Amino acid sequence: MSTERTPLNDKELWRSLAAAREDAPEAVSDLDFAAWLEGRLPETAAARIEAAVAADPEMRRAALELADILDKPLPAPPARLEVRAKALVGFEAEQRMRRVGLFDWLFAGNRRFAMQRVVALTAAVVIAVSGFMLGGGLGASVAEERYALNMPHTTSTDSSNELTEFLVSDGI
Amino acid sequence: MGVAELNQIDLRALATGNKRAWDAFVVAASPLINAVIRRTLASYRLSEEDVMDAAQDVFVRLCANDFRLLKTYDPARAGLSTWLAVVSRSSAVDHARRRRQATLPLDEVPEASLGVEDRHVEKLKIPQGLLTDRQILILKCLYDEERDVAEVAQLLKIDAQTVRSTHHKALLRLRAHFGEETS
Repeated sequence: MSTERTPLNDKELWRSLAAAREDAPEAVSDLDFAAWLEGRLPETAAARIEAAVAADPEMRRAALELADILDKPLPAPPARLEVRAKALVGFEAEQRMRRVGLFDWLFAGNRRFAMQRVVALTAAVVIAVSGFMLGGGLGASVAEERYALNMPHTTSTDSSNELTEFLVSDGI
Repeated sequence: MGVAELNQIDLRALATGNKRAWDAFVVAASPLINAVIRRTLASYRLSEEDVMDAAQDVFVRLCANDFRLLKTYDPARAGLSTWLAVVSRSSAVDHARRRRQATLPLDEVPEASLGVEDRHVEKLKIPQGLLTDRQILILKCLYDEERDVAEVAQLLKIDAQTVRSTHHKALLRLRAHFGEETS
């Protein structure tokens, strides 16, 4: 009977061993995991993720699957997947973000662009006043309106009298 | 639209709830989210409705609480597509766990996970520091996950020859330490 041990093949050797790291794998954030998948991490940071991936079968499967998916052309998704997802954000979400209009900017309580706001307001007042004055001003326009109201309405009466006189002169 | 277009999305507009930015994001992200969800849920044998719901879960997570999750993404650290794939996978796993219907045909289960471990057989422990984390990861991918060299190379963004040599060096060290003959 031979006492010589049969050499284990690579797989059997590995299966007969247990990795020293038996403690719970270190938590890895989604962003760190993604950075590691892209090979963006420096050596020490990558080693930390590799240790966690080596220790956790679920992370290993995730890494292998995602590396495969990200390297392949993707099939088109069902149309209703997009329709349902688009419906999650409506225009009311935009409306919730209050739009800043001209008046909001002009009369804002903060001190940002204070000088520009004062200049814009002054220019607006100057333009309004000069436009009003060119138009004759409020007093002149009111007086003109009153004068027009007090004038006797004789035009139609005069024309009817002239017509009557013409008819009478003709004996009608 | 593909992964490249996804990385062109205006994230600032997206995080403010801009409808057009959201719609563009949905169009760009849907193929990736759909692919990740289907791949993840494949082993759970869930229905098409479950795939749709799991995909919707991802979008809900992204825009919930005023886009809180989306705002945690940092483009300086990882590409949007890769981060989105990671988020989608974890969301799909959560969905599947909630459904609790995990089933897998026997042929698709790696041999290593089928074996019932004999607790009485004390495994030899690999001393800390004997192998690097990368060497352990490569051996686990090759033997525990039963992946081929090309898949491991793709994962680690290295060429297949580097995987083979790392594997070879790791086994040499193990055999030297445990007194086995090299094959």
